[in-house]
Order: sequence, then structure tokens, then C-alpha cells
Amino acid sequence: MITTKQITKTVTTSEGQLQILQPISFEVKDGESIAIVGASGSGKSTLLSLLAGLDQVTDGEIYLDNEPLHSMDEEDRAQLRGAKVGFIFQSFMLVQSLTALENIMLPAEIAGMKDAKKRALKIIDDVGLAHRAHHYPNQLSGGEQQRVAIARAFIGEPKILFADEPTGNLDEANSHKIEDLLFALNKNVGTTLVLVTHDNELAKKCQRQLVMQGGALSEPAADASSLEREAG
Amino acid sequence: MSTVFSLAWRLFRHEARRGELTIILLAIVLSVGAVLSLSLFSERLQGALQERSASFLAADSQFRSRNPVDESWINEAQNYNLQTATRVSTRSMAFGEEQMSLVDLRAVDASYPLKGEITIADAPFGNESVTEALPQPGEAWLDSRLFQTLNVEVGDSVYIGDATLTISGVLSEIPDAGFSIFNTDPIVLMRMEDLASTNVTGPGSRVNYVSYFTGNESDLAAYYDWLRPKMDDEIHSWRAISDDDSPVGRSVASAERYFLLASLLAIILAAVSIAVAAQRYSQRHFDPVAIMKTLGASGPMIRKIYVLQILFIAVLGIVLGIIMGLIIQQVVVWALADQVDVTLSVWHWRPVIIAVFTGAICALLFSLYPLLRLFSVPPLRVLRRDIDSNMSSRTLQFGAAGSAIFLLMWAYSQDLKISAILFASGIALVAGLLVMTYGLILLGRKLGSGSMGAWQLAWARIRRRAMDNSVQLISFSVTIMLLLVVLVMRNDMVAQWRAQLPEGTPNYFLINITQAQKDALSSHFEDNNVEVDEFYPVVRGRFVAVNEERVNTEVTKEDEDAPREGRDGLGREANLTWSNTLQNENRIVAGQWHGDTTVSLPEGVFPVSVESEVADRLEIELGDILTFNIGSEVVNTQVTSLREVNWQTMQPNFFFVIDPAAMQAFMPTYITSFYLDTERKSELTMLLQPFSSVTLFDVDARINQLRDIVDQVSLAVEFILILVLAAGSLVLIAQVQASMDERQEELAILRTLGAKGSLIRMSVVLEFLIIGVVAGFMAALANEFSLFMLQTQVFQMEASLHVEYWIIAPVVGAAVVGLLGAIGCWRLLSLNTTALLRKMV
Repeated sequence: MITTKQITKTVTTSEGQLQILQPISFEVKDGESIAIVGASGSGKSTLLSLLAGLDQVTDGEIYLDNEPLHSMDEEDRAQLRGAKVGFIFQSFMLVQSLTALENIMLPAEIAGMKDAKKRALKIIDDVGLAHRAHHYPNQLSGGEQQRVAIARAFIGEPKILFADEPTGNLDEANSHKIEDLLFALNKNVGTTLVLVTHDNELAKKCQRQLVMQGGALSEPAADASSLEREAG
Repeated sequence: MSTVFSLAWRLFRHEARRGELTIILLAIVLSVGAVLSLSLFSERLQGALQERSASFLAADSQFRSRNPVDESWINEAQNYNLQTATRVSTRSMAFGEEQMSLVDLRAVDASYPLKGEITIADAPFGNESVTEALPQPGEAWLDSRLFQTLNVEVGDSVYIGDATLTISGVLSEIPDAGFSIFNTDPIVLMRMEDLASTNVTGPGSRVNYVSYFTGNESDLAAYYDWLRPKMDDEIHSWRAISDDDSPVGRSVASAERYFLLASLLAIILAAVSIAVAAQRYSQRHFDPVAIMKTLGASGPMIRKIYVLQILFIAVLGIVLGIIMGLIIQQVVVWALADQVDVTLSVWHWRPVIIAVFTGAICALLFSLYPLLRLFSVPPLRVLRRDIDSNMSSRTLQFGAAGSAIFLLMWAYSQDLKISAILFASGIALVAGLLVMTYGLILLGRKLGSGSMGAWQLAWARIRRRAMDNSVQLISFSVTIMLLLVVLVMRNDMVAQWRAQLPEGTPNYFLINITQAQKDALSSHFEDNNVEVDEFYPVVRGRFVAVNEERVNTEVTKEDEDAPREGRDGLGREANLTWSNTLQNENRIVAGQWHGDTTVSLPEGVFPVSVESEVADRLEIELGDILTFNIGSEVVNTQVTSLREVNWQTMQPNFFFVIDPAAMQAFMPTYITSFYLDTERKSELTMLLQPFSSVTLFDVDARINQLRDIVDQVSLAVEFILILVLAAGSLVLIAQVQASMDERQEELAILRTLGAKGSLIRMSVVLEFLIIGVVAGFMAALANEFSLFMLQTQVFQMEASLHVEYWIIAPVVGAAVVGLLGAIGCWRLLSLNTTALLRKMV
């Protein structure tokens, strides 16, 4: 589903060029779930932004569902995201002036699906928020907002889902609910999941874990102790 | 319904319901409402005032000719839907049974006057009433003065040329009598039908043929276009209301310019508030745009959604603005109904079109830059909240906004000068403010150092925002400046109007006072509590030669039978006066005033100053030797200066003013004036009884009429001022509101960290106080510059400094902005921390 070949990211700062990603190559298979873990500032969010086509690589190649993301312009990447990608963010990123239901409908509408509302009604029921359909984001709790975000991510049945610290803003009880929901839907739809997190428990629920450190990516042996050390 | 449309509509609907659009909507509603009510009201008011001025022309326009006018020219006017009337006037002798007098003879047709009213009196100098009638054929109405001079009564006969007419009325006022007092003769009004029988308009006599036209503006203009090529400037002239140089004409003209100015300022206010609102609107939508882009929305889709949104907002804003404008205008008209006759029956489309145009142009052009910024927000913002728009160009922002304002002003005023002046002041203000904000940053580093208290917090915020929010600071200053301009301009203008006719302006004039009567008259009047003004010495003299070449001096019909050759003379005796002091409203246009300089002239030749128009007419030039016959004496003078005289003032004016040295040998008569309250009019007969040879000029009605109009115009200007002030205040509130929202995040953080409400409140109030002081001070500076330019270049007034506003503006600016800031802050702080944090999300 995802193939990266020697991708790097360099930014210009007042002190000159700064390479924030070392050359990275890896693959993610169809339907696979992977977690990218690492300390703050290790470059995991940058990697996610490149994989999702939100930002452009400085060097190297990225293929998303065989499409060459690295050579596409912003318009083509937007089209690709609309067609194949779903997102979940730490800060939910709901449109404040749309209701829960309308937020869920949004990607389907952008993609031009005729049955956007029907799909949204079904999925909002799936995430248990049918009674909150017409509430605005600021009338919902954090957990409820993230459930809306998850429903929004799955409405278009994306081939791949990127989640950036999906439980980062939630308490433990809500975190568990969200995690369960995320993996259940992931299983039902058969989506490939790429998840960025600090949370080892959450990372362990993924089939593979990748560790970011100082802009470099490594795939440790799947023993828990080393993973814990890396994630700090 | 396409996805884009339904998305845009849904976003618009929800945002409107949640109050997210309040600020930008309010800005558009205010601008459209203010521009509409201002221009609607000023258009109607101008109509009403023009109607008043038209009454002084007895029509909307006059065509004057020294020769009989071709009938077909007048008939053609009917093809342009114009109403017409005609008048033939000449100066002639009128005879009673024993006495005679030179009169201003006016023969009119049945349609006269097209505008204005004729007033008649029940007796000479008696009670006046308006009449719609005219003298019947065979009759004449005589000026009150003539009853005295000719020693006649109503019912007697008056002989004019070969005709005998029955005196059937006392003429008090006719609309187009003119404003000058001393070079007019008493009027005799008669019918055109009788003119031929008088035989006074034969060849050689100086006759004025006046045609009056009334109709709508475009028809008049079209007719004038048709007529203009046929006109011979030597013989013909065209007068319209706009040529009116009387106190009324000038007041109305400057009021019109003031209304225009106020409307232009309202447009700028509107633009400023929309610019502020649009910027805020754009910033609030960075997140939704980033989210939609992340979810796959294409660039064109985002553009369509937001352009549609702006369109919805603009349409709603314009509709609400028009409703508001109509309500305001209705309220104003209702409030003014007793004072000004502003008719509501005529509907003017132009203000509505202007208001809609303003709303649309402002909404689109001022949201252009914020929208471009919005479109360029990268999707990456969903992960990196600090990422702003990719686009930032102050040049583009100020360039687009500036040219939009300038184009709007120019299109609206069609007056490049007034637009350029306001625009240049604006640029100067913006440049000055930028320098000032840099200065503030430097100053703030010094002032704001030390441990973190309210003062330091306030400075820290200003420092951080000074450049980012320069638009906001500029908008405060521009708003305050505009309010100052409107306020000060109104004060200066009304003061100058009132100064033209101050309380106690003489409303009666006396002439032919002999040296012997002078003191007796003074004391008699004093005994009756009437104060008499200065006595001007006057001798009657006949102007007989220029450089020893004789001029025509015919006075009456009899004289005119001689063939006319050589130079033109005055045609009658002139009032000659002498003085070393130049009178008010007299201006030297060539040479030097003899009172200011000594010139060496040949023995027996004295300096004279000649009124420039008469000099033109009689072909008199500087250095010419003019000869006058005064009684049996000959006085030789040399022209040392030419004067421009404003004949429209209520004071004696003279064609010739001679050096006092020339006149010592002559026994003058005197002219004086006095003020008598209108209610005491009945005392006139008693006052004048001992002085039967003295002639009285009554200008009381005319002065009251003038003052009445000036008062009405002043009142109207006051209402306009209140309208602009109200609009400006609302804009200020909107601005503070907008900037308060920007501070929300910081307040929430400070609150969360446990900062005391009093500290936060004090820091916000201080911040706004500082901004208010700076904005007020900058506004006072820019105000001074704009006023200087406006007063000297547009309003033809004397420029004046307004130092008091250098203090008032910063103090009021600080107080108002500080207070509004405190209120806004109080609202935010009344929320608990959780609510505050949630509002941020």
C-alpha cells in the first residue's frame, strides 16, 4: 500500500539547512496496521505528513497505492487523499461551524458521493452518536469529538487511514473506547492503518511498530522492552 | 444543488446562526446603511435646498440676452419638456403727478415666476403676504419706496414712457430681485402685454431679455447643449442655480460639498470596517480550509465555496443594510420634518445603486487579499498549527485596499480633487502610523521592561502585535480621523455661514441723509433704542470721460435719441465714495489700493479704484484718467487699482472709490444702516417721520429668508454629522470586538495559569488605552492635514489650526477605545476558564 524509497525532508531555517528526516525506506502492506512511535521532535509527525501527501519530500520516492506521491502537485495529492485516505488527528480538527453529522458527511461530499448523508447517518450510529448528530463540535466532549472524527475518517471507506496521536487529548477511559472503535472499524473496512503515537499500549495493538529517533526510522525486534525504551 | 453550493450554503447558514458572521455582516450592513441613508438624505435635502435657491432665480435656469430672443429658441424648450416664462426689463423713468424716479421696469408674462413667490404689502412698508397673482394688463405694482418718491397711492396712475398704468398693488418682494441693495432702482412690475405701448425698449435703450426655464436636470442640460452653440457670449448668458454666488448659493454649495464629503467618509469608514472584518473572517477560516484540503478538496472547490460564502454574506449584508438605511433615513426625515421641507414623494435610485455598489465593491475587493491568503493555507496546518498562510504581501494588501477606496471615492464623487485630498491624507496617515508603530516597539522595550504586571503585559502584547495588527491600529486612527474631519469641518463651516449674517445684521438702510440731518437722525434713533451704524459719505457724480474721450452719459429715454457712438458710459449718475480703507468683501485684482501706497500723480489728479466688472464693461484700464462731473465741478482721477466686489453681501458697495483728498470740497449725503427687530417693524414710520427726504431700503425679509435657509442647512449638516458619528462609533465597536476575539486565546491561557481577573482586565484596558492614545494623536495630525487641504482646495474657506483636537482626540480616543476594550474584556472574563478554552477550539 505504501512504499518509500530513501525519502528525506530538509527545511531552511535561519541557521541554514536542517535535515529533519534521514533517508527512510520501508513498506506497508495492504490491510496492515503499523504504529510509528518516538519521542517528541523525533520526526514522526513529519513522516506522517509526507506519507499522507500533506507535505512534499525533499528527496526520494513515495508510492501510495502505487501512485507516485513525490511527483504529484498539491491538486493531485488532494484528489488522491480524497479518494483513498482517511485522517484522525490529536486535536480532532472538526469544522466548528458544521454539526457532527455534517462533519462526518464532509469527505463524502467533497468526493462527490450522492449518498453522503445516508452513509453519515449509518456511521454516526455505528460510533454511538446518533443522538448527538445535530450538535456542534464545541457542544461535544473530547471523546465524542474524536468519535465524530473517526466516523468522518471511515465514511469514504478509505484504503488507508492515518491517525496522529488519536488518543493524545483524551482521558484513559475515553482512550480505550476510541482505540476499540478505531480497530473495530479498521477490521470491518479492511483499511491499512498508519498510527503515530506516544502510547505503547496503543502501539502494541498494531501489527508492526516502527521507531523514529533523531529523524531516522528503525524497526526493532518485536520485544516489548526495547520498544518501551525507544518510546521513552 | 451542487456539492459546492450546498456546502457553501450550509457553512453560511450555520455560521450566521452561531453568530460567527456577525462582525463581517455588521460591517457590510453598516457601510451600506450609512452610505444609503447619507446619500439618500443628502440627495433629498439637496433637492429641497436647490428648490429654495431656484426661487432666487425664479426658475431653475435663466437665459439672458441684450437683444430680443428668437421665438423659436424659446419654443424649442418645450420640446425638451421645459416650462418657460419671459421677462423684459429696462431702466426707465416713472412719473407720478408731480415727481419722477428712475425705476427698474420689469414686464413679465403670465407664467412668471416659475419658482419662488411674489409678496405684496397691504400698504407701503406694510404687512406682507404671498400672492399667486400678477398685475392685470393696464396695471402696475410698485416697490414701497416709489410710493414715497413719486408721492402716489394705490389707485393712482403711473406714467411710464407713453403708457399710463393704474397702480394696483404694493410690491414687496419678487423672487429674482437680486441681493445687491445699492445699485438697484425700485422695481415696477407690469405685464408684458403693456410693454409695447410704453415705447421704452426702442433701439439704443439698454434692455434685458430674460427667459426662464424649469424642468428636470437632464432636460435642462440637453436644452442647454442645444442652445449653447447658438449663443453669442457678448450678448447672451446662461445662469443656473450652481452659478449662484449669493450667501444662499454659497451655503448650499458648500453644504452639498459637505454631504459629498460625509458620504465619501462613510464609504471609507465602511471600507475600513469591512477590511478589518474580512481579515478576521479569513483568519478564522484557516482551519476549515486546511481540514477540507486534507480531506481532498481541490483548490478550485475551496475557492468556489468561499467566493460563494462571501457572496451570500454580501447579499445578506446589502439587503439588511438597505433596510437599515431606509429606516435611518425615515427617522431623520421624520425628526427634521418641522424644520426642513424634505419631500419623500420623490424616489431617488442613485443612492440605492451607490449603496449596493459600495457594499459589493467593499465586500469583494476588501476580502480579496484575506481570501487569497485563505486559499493558500496549506493542508499541513492540520498537523502543524503554527503554519499560517503561504501568502503574505502588505504591498498587495494595501495596494488593493487603497486603489479600491480611491476608485470608490472617485466614482462616487466624480471629483478627482476631493478624492485625491482624502486619499493623500489617508496615505500620509498610514505612513505616519507605520513609523509610529516602529517607534512604539522601541519605546515599548524600555517602558515595558521589569517584572510582569498589567503594564508590562499590555506593552508585551502591543509589541508582539504592533506590526501584525497594524491594520487594526490604522483602522482605529482612520475612523477617529474621519470623525474629526466631519466634526471640525461642520463646526468651521457653520461658523462661517453664521458669520455671513450675524445676529443684529443691519436689516434697513437709509440713504440721502444730509450733513445737517446726520446728528439729529443719530440721536432720534438712539432715543428710540435703535443703534445706527457708520455713515458712509456719498456724492452723486456723473462719469463723463476716459483719457479725455467723452463717454455716453444718457440717462433717460430723451437722452437716448441722440445717435450712440463712442465709449459706453454708466448710463446714469453713480454713487461716488471716498475712503482710504478697503471695504470687506472687496479684493484688489490689479494695481495697488490707494490707501496702502502713495503714488505720484500729476497736479489735480487723484487715485481712484474701479470695480473690475464695470472696468471691463467700460473698457477702463489701470492708469486711465477718468473724469467725473460732481455738481458743477470737474474731478480728474487716475485708475490705480481694480477691485473685485462681492455684490451679494448686505452692505453698500461702490463702482468708484476715490482718494479722500479729491472730495474735500464737496458736500456729501450719507448712507447708513441699522438693525430693527422684525417685531418692531411698525415703529419705522415713527422713526422716519422727522426725515422725510431720507429714503429707506427694507432688506429685513430678505435677511430673515437667508438666515432661515442657513439655519436649515446647518441643521441638516448637523444631522449628517450625527449619522456619520453613529456609523463611526459602531465601526469602532466592531473593531474592538474583532480584536478582542483575537485576544481570547491569550486571555484563556493567562486565566488558566491563574492570573487574576484584575490583572488581565487592567492589562487589556491599558493596551487599549495606549492604542487609543496613539490612534487619537495620529488622527489629530492627519485631520489637520486633511482639513487644511479640504478648506483651502475644496471649500474655499480660510484654513485654521485646531490645536485643541491634538489633546481632545488622544484623550477621547483613549477613553472610548479603552472603555470598549474594558467592556469586551469583561464579557470574556465573565466566562469561566473551561468555557474560554472551549471557545478557542
